[in-house]
Amino acid sequence: MSSLGSETSTEDGGKELIGTVAGPGDDPNEFVVVTPDDQAVKTGEFISYTVPVDGTGREVIARVTNREQARGLPETFMADPNVAPEAVASTLGVPTDDIDLYRLEATVIGFYDTGMQTFSNPRQLPSPGTRLWTAPNEMLEAILPNLGVDEQEATDANGSVDLSRINVEEREGLAHMGWLLNREANAVDVHIPIDEFAATHLAILASTGSGKSYTAGVLMEEMMMPDSRASLLVFDPHGEYSSLSEMRGNGIFASDDYHPEVEYFTPENLRIRISELNVGDVMSILDNPSDRMQERLDSGWRAMQRRESRTWGIDDLLEEMRDQYGDDDSSVGALEWRLRRSIQRNDLFTTDVNVPLDDLVAPGRCTVLQMDTLGRRDQQMIATVLLRRLYQARLAAVRGRGDEEGYDGEIIEQPLFALFEEGHRFAPSTGEAPSLEIMRTVTSEGRKFGFGLGIISQRPSKIDQDVLSQCGTQVTMQIQNPTDQDAIKNSVEAAGEEVLRELPGLTPGQAVVSGDAMNTPVLIQVRERHTTHGAGSIPATSQWKQAHEQRNEQPGRTESADMGGGESTGEEDLL
Amino acid sequence: MSSRSTNDTGNEASTIDDCLAIGSIVNSNSHMDYTVEIFNETDRDRPPEPHECGFGQPVFIHKTIDGTEYIIMGVIYDTQLVDPDQGRSGPRLAQGDQPQFTPGYVEERTTLAGVVLLGTAEVAGDGTVNSPSQEMPRWTLAVDDVVKQCPDRIIRSFHIGPDDGLQIAYIERLLDVAGPLGAEVTLSIVERLRELFPEDPNQRVLDVVEKDVRWQSSVDRGVMR
Repeated sequence: MSSLGSETSTEDGGKELIGTVAGPGDDPNEFVVVTPDDQAVKTGEFISYTVPVDGTGREVIARVTNREQARGLPETFMADPNVAPEAVASTLGVPTDDIDLYRLEATVIGFYDTGMQTFSNPRQLPSPGTRLWTAPNEMLEAILPNLGVDEQEATDANGSVDLSRINVEEREGLAHMGWLLNREANAVDVHIPIDEFAATHLAILASTGSGKSYTAGVLMEEMMMPDSRASLLVFDPHGEYSSLSEMRGNGIFASDDYHPEVEYFTPENLRIRISELNVGDVMSILDNPSDRMQERLDSGWRAMQRRESRTWGIDDLLEEMRDQYGDDDSSVGALEWRLRRSIQRNDLFTTDVNVPLDDLVAPGRCTVLQMDTLGRRDQQMIATVLLRRLYQARLAAVRGRGDEEGYDGEIIEQPLFALFEEGHRFAPSTGEAPSLEIMRTVTSEGRKFGFGLGIISQRPSKIDQDVLSQCGTQVTMQIQNPTDQDAIKNSVEAAGEEVLRELPGLTPGQAVVSGDAMNTPVLIQVRERHTTHGAGSIPATSQWKQAHEQRNEQPGRTESADMGGGESTGEEDLL
Repeated sequence: MSSRSTNDTGNEASTIDDCLAIGSIVNSNSHMDYTVEIFNETDRDRPPEPHECGFGQPVFIHKTIDGTEYIIMGVIYDTQLVDPDQGRSGPRLAQGDQPQFTPGYVEERTTLAGVVLLGTAEVAGDGTVNSPSQEMPRWTLAVDDVVKQCPDRIIRSFHIGPDDGLQIAYIERLLDVAGPLGAEVTLSIVERLRELFPEDPNQRVLDVVEKDVRWQSSVDRGVMR
């Protein structure tokens, strides 16, 4: 090995000489690097070395997974916190400059194979003495996300493969989520392919206050950019996404022929036509129907669904059931009370009004369903019915049913992406939600029909495991609850041990992105939003103070309390 | 230290040459480790008192090398008594009330002291010392080189480091060469330095050093682990 001083230790593009391989590590893919302290390589940093693979020198990427001090001042020098260990060392003539040595453990990720368009493990560790560099910024930008960089793109004029020459900014359909946490701001921007997560679903998991909605906002902004123009539907149980309307007038989102549309639907215009419900949905909102009642309802509902008309109501249904079972059937009588209470008297359900799907979703339109005034069950019903209709409309479009004679169903020509805030409400692990079944269907089969789901939740352990495990791309932020960590470990395949170890230590705005959209999990700092964030914490103390001052200003509230009769006000007696 | 006297002549000497000579080198065990024969009445008019050449006493040897005057600092880390008569005592020729019969050569009994070298310093024309170095001295000493008691001002000058802070860089060598008595001699130096460097930061550093030495010697002796 030539001496370190014979070459410059820093090259362009963030490539910096950091240390020397000391030997193999514990696992077959691990090796140990020794580095002096001043290089300050952080855990999670991507480092690279060159090995010959099939006669060609390949630049292999590895990730620093652990860091410990190999050499330093003795602990006895730190006996008195008032005395700096360096002062003791100086007195005793011990050199303090460059004395620290650090031992880094690194795991091989692999070299980027332009043929396979992903990482390939060379199955060989760097030999002791190999010098290691931080991986160049441009190269990381090109190969960390699953961008499908092929050999032709990566080959330069001289015919050699150079991944650093790929300009990610020029590519379309990418979401700029933020930058690599270990590097300076914007040194390594992480752009994830929207197509990947829109097809294989997305999960944003984090405890409250860690930036879930913020991150979702960033992704939505990216999806509404002129080079994506997504058809986006947001189920917003808390009304957190009202600020997305700022996209309308913001030049960042506009191009010559495009301005994003942002539409808001409130419960007033989110009616569900009763005929859109299926019998299972109805069962789920009735109060403990008996087996006999279920049988009556099933039969009656099927008969109604066979009818030409789609504008029937509860009265028509009851009439149908009485026709079948007689006027004095006690089960039908019991059902009548339940149906009227749960459906007929609920403003959400109508006999005729139905939101046309074309109004709801369109390319270049972000539709936010503001359901904050609705109860949980009604939110679930809306999600159930809309998802089912949208799914069938997409299925019909992909199957070409629109051209079939006699097809009168709805068709949506463009792919869809539906984002569920508080995803555990709509797909709970307890199974008690009418929306669960359709969510399972969409997550398991939606990819084929261009229907993607995004699930945002602070309780991964409370989401149905089938739904969660189908979310191919995961954005995981700070999570300290061990049950939720286990849920991620069990259901998210791409989240390895090393990623899970990071979760408790993340701060708000930092996230691990893993799964189909990435070639390897990375730690990122989420970028700033272009629109304002709508779900920040409410400053309680200032609002209390303000409210109290307002209350004091109101007349008539400051009279002293009547403490009893007599001339005394009562207060004096007490003093 | 209890054995130290604040008004002994050595510590009041104004020049290096006036410092009390306490012995001369008679042997060396290594480049760093010398044996000094302590002067007695026959060697000097003013032989050192026991407290002036005791355990832990800093000493120096004044030498001129290549035209530059140096002092070579050391410390007494060991003492031995030598009595040629040991083992030769047989039936006495003298009676109880008569003076003891002794052969013609007298005063063969000597005290030997082990001295570890600590470093060097240059001597300026005005008798002060400067450029202290606590590295191992490059030169060897010679038999009959006179070893003198080191006054406090020289001890202080010798322990001032390049950044004007307290420096005891020889400590590892001292502990190594002095062997089983290394910790004790180091602690006696630390105690001396406490009086010479009363400033608070230095005292705190000395605390840490002292604790470290005590702890390490306890571990070495198996008292603690």
